[in-house]
Amino acid sequence: MQSKLSDIELIQQTLSGNQAAYADLVKRHQRFVFTLAMRFCKGREDAEEVAQDCFIKAYRSLSSFQGQSKFSTWLYSIVYTTAMTFLRKKRVDTDSIDDENTYIQLENQSSGLDNNIAEKRSRSYYLNEAIGRLLPDDAAIITLFYMGEQSLEEIGQTLGIDPNTAKVKLFRARQRLKEKLEKSLKEEVKELI
Amino acid sequence: MNTMEERLWSYIDGTCDENERKAIDTLIATDKTYSAKFEELLNFDQQLSKMEAEEPSMGFTYKVMEGVRAEHARQPLKAAINKNIIKGISGFFIVTISLMLILMLSTLHITPVSFSVHLPETLKIPDLKNYVNGKVLNYFFFFDAVLALVLVDAYLRRRKGKQAFKP
Repeated sequence: MQSKLSDIELIQQTLSGNQAAYADLVKRHQRFVFTLAMRFCKGREDAEEVAQDCFIKAYRSLSSFQGQSKFSTWLYSIVYTTAMTFLRKKRVDTDSIDDENTYIQLENQSSGLDNNIAEKRSRSYYLNEAIGRLLPDDAAIITLFYMGEQSLEEIGQTLGIDPNTAKVKLFRARQRLKEKLEKSLKEEVKELI
Repeated sequence: MNTMEERLWSYIDGTCDENERKAIDTLIATDKTYSAKFEELLNFDQQLSKMEAEEPSMGFTYKVMEGVRAEHARQPLKAAINKNIIKGISGFFIVTISLMLILMLSTLHITPVSFSVHLPETLKIPDLKNYVNGKVLNYFFFFDAVLALVLVDAYLRRRKGKQAFKP
């Protein structure tokens, strides 16, 4: 059972030496942090490694958290920085929207849909799949806006950009996602979007 | 000039101003193209809002807390020791050295022709030659080597810490 205390209260307890309070904080945010890490790492194992690393870094720097922004915003900025460092280290080849390989993947997916697989899988699954094939920045901004319930100002803080730039990036990311879904799902997309 | 889609997204996200909102309200009500596009984008927006977050493995929290505990174990001695203890020890040495200096200075008899120090009868200064021998020197150098390693370790940790993420 998760704690009903606020993030700030849990942070204060953690700073006074109560590690169980930090465990509660981890439980509260782990799903989203993991999802955000998945947007960059593309693999569950790597994403878990990044997400764990983020929580440990956050614990290490917890005393420097000023409380001027939401804890989640601060935490997501750690996720973003850690994931970017991870990508640089691993030199993961991110799929471009116009990438040839991506197109092959999409072709294969659409042939699978002919067998009414679409009915078996949830809409959320296809959306997540399509987001997973976006560039990490696009995927992250959509995830932060819709799942992380972050405002454009908060997204700007997390990604280190201006809120207006965040707005433009979000618009373009949604456009690319829609194009991706249209390419991969063809007819089914009308039901989906 | 913003495209229709851009204007509609601003409307859906609630980031446009009041005048723009009213203008788009009118366009949706009167223009079929706008109305159809609005429905499409709104549906897409709702689908995105319904997305569910991924679930990490069962032992995720446990692994994080293991990492946190390891972090505590790796904490350098400098950070682990209560600073008040360090201050107390420093204070003790400062007071002792000051008292010894005062005692020594009070027993100094300086005359123009001669200079002599008269220590109290009861104060016996140990003969250092009895203590400084090969074994003691070995211990001294060993202690110095350990101290040097600890200091190098602390320095490297600080450098690593600076390179790590600073939110």
